[in-house]
Amino acid sequence: MLNVSELTVDIQGSRILRGISLEVRAGELVCLLGRNGAGKTTTFRSLMGYLRPVSGRISWEDKDLARLSTWQIAQLGIGFSPEESEVYADLTVEENIELPTWTRTCGRPAAERISEAYRIFPKLERYRKRGGAELSGGERKMVSIARALALDAELLLLDEPFEGLSPAIIPLVAEGVAAIRQSGKAIVMAESNLHHVPDYIDKLVVIERGEIIYTGSLSGALGDVEVMKIIAGAVDAEPQT
Amino acid sequence: MSAVFDVISPRIRPRPKPRLLNGVIPFVVLLAGLAIAPLMLTPYSTVMLMPALAFGIALLGMNLLFGYTGLLSFGNAMFLAVGAYVAAAATQAGVLHFELILIAAASLGGLFALAIGALCVRFTHIFFGMLTLAFGMLLHSFLFKFYNLTGGDQGMRVLRPMLLGQDWDMTATQFLSGPFYYYCLIVYVLLGLLTWRIVSSPLGLQLRAIRDNESKARYLGVRVYRLRLFAFVVSGVFGAIAGAMLGVSTGLADPELAYWPQSGNLIFMMILGGAGTFVGPGVGALIFVLLHEVLVSSTAYWRFMLGATLVFLVLVLPEGLIGTISNHLQRRVRGDAQ
Repeated sequence: MLNVSELTVDIQGSRILRGISLEVRAGELVCLLGRNGAGKTTTFRSLMGYLRPVSGRISWEDKDLARLSTWQIAQLGIGFSPEESEVYADLTVEENIELPTWTRTCGRPAAERISEAYRIFPKLERYRKRGGAELSGGERKMVSIARALALDAELLLLDEPFEGLSPAIIPLVAEGVAAIRQSGKAIVMAESNLHHVPDYIDKLVVIERGEIIYTGSLSGALGDVEVMKIIAGAVDAEPQT
Repeated sequence: MSAVFDVISPRIRPRPKPRLLNGVIPFVVLLAGLAIAPLMLTPYSTVMLMPALAFGIALLGMNLLFGYTGLLSFGNAMFLAVGAYVAAAATQAGVLHFELILIAAASLGGLFALAIGALCVRFTHIFFGMLTLAFGMLLHSFLFKFYNLTGGDQGMRVLRPMLLGQDWDMTATQFLSGPFYYYCLIVYVLLGLLTWRIVSSPLGLQLRAIRDNESKARYLGVRVYRLRLFAFVVSGVFGAIAGAMLGVSTGLADPELAYWPQSGNLIFMMILGGAGTFVGPGVGALIFVLLHEVLVSSTAYWRFMLGATLVFLVLVLPEGLIGTISNHLQRRVRGDAQ
């Protein structure tokens, strides 16, 4: 589905990604785990065509994404919920979620996509007419994910979906992510906090200083002392017996 | 978009739409007021209102560009000049049907906007504003210097056109305050309804998304460049139509129409009424024209007074008259509800 091969990206002359490779299959939930500044957001921004790679290849169902504009990538069915997850303050929740159904008109009918977004985040149903500026941080995050979902995306890129949320809201967002995954969509989720990584992920990819240092299962990473040193500090390491 | 707005004032920027007074109904009330004005005013006073109609039409397009898409043009007066010179050239060439003149002005204004916009809308912030200003000044220089073609500083005479195929046998004041006034008002109504259709459609939703955050709009599949260009072309078409009307009402296509203070006046009107509200710029145009007439006839320091009004607006009513009244009403409604 999505294949990233030897991706190298520079920002203002500094090398941020150093030949990372990543594969996401249909319906898979992949977690990209790394510390702040490791290159998670840069990876997502490169996948969305916002940053042009120095070298490497990004392919989506045999299409070379590196040659496409951001809006073209979105219209292929890749939804992105950025870390800051700002919703449009001037638009209501309803308008925010409706917007991508007008930009990507292929795929399922708009009504079906919108109702799916509300089904996954039922709390938003009550706030349909509420302005984006009147939402809490957690609600904005839900709108941001629901909006990416309403693109009828086959792959969702969620950049730190739990970042900055109160403990009371995190389970609601987590339930939404789980429901999206159950609907068969592929998800790549970036996380900097190991404790926010859902235990039902299919694959964990650990990134450090722009390089992939681990690809495998969550349990495998928890048992790897070297990996644990980087993502959680040595204290949390659980060496395999 | 912050940089370009902060150049003028950190407080002047397209705001989240006020819920009240932002529908089509206040616009209809404005048009109704303009429709009955000739019945209560002298013909001379009605002619004085003509620029308010023309500027109102130009501002429909400019508000789409700034209030809804977030691009502040410092050179939109160039389209007024395009329209006025098309009217002058057409009437001098014997084409007197005003419908044909409007179509020609709209077409040339649109093509002109397409050519300039193809470059300008690649840029945002102050760069977009400066580029439009530069193109406006280029056109002004062209109109001013190419004397044989444009009449230079003398401009070009705009002859009285035929409306609906009829050659109205009456004095200039009667023509302008009667048939021509209502003709322009009907065009204003039609273009207003067209603009309302745009801003309340999915297209308008995408324009507002671009205004608020173009990066996120791209992430959602919005074709930012194409839609910005669309808004710029609409502003060019409406500006040229307005210019043709201004040319007929003054009887002259003047290079000063393309000069940068004219673009400043358009921005002034938009801010005065409230950018981003549908009816605000139209109200701003009306108040500006009336204020201008009153100040010019009562004091030699009218420019100073207009400047002071702008300062007052920026400091006290940053959302313009309609925006401020609307927010006030909104607060009262909320207060009553609680």
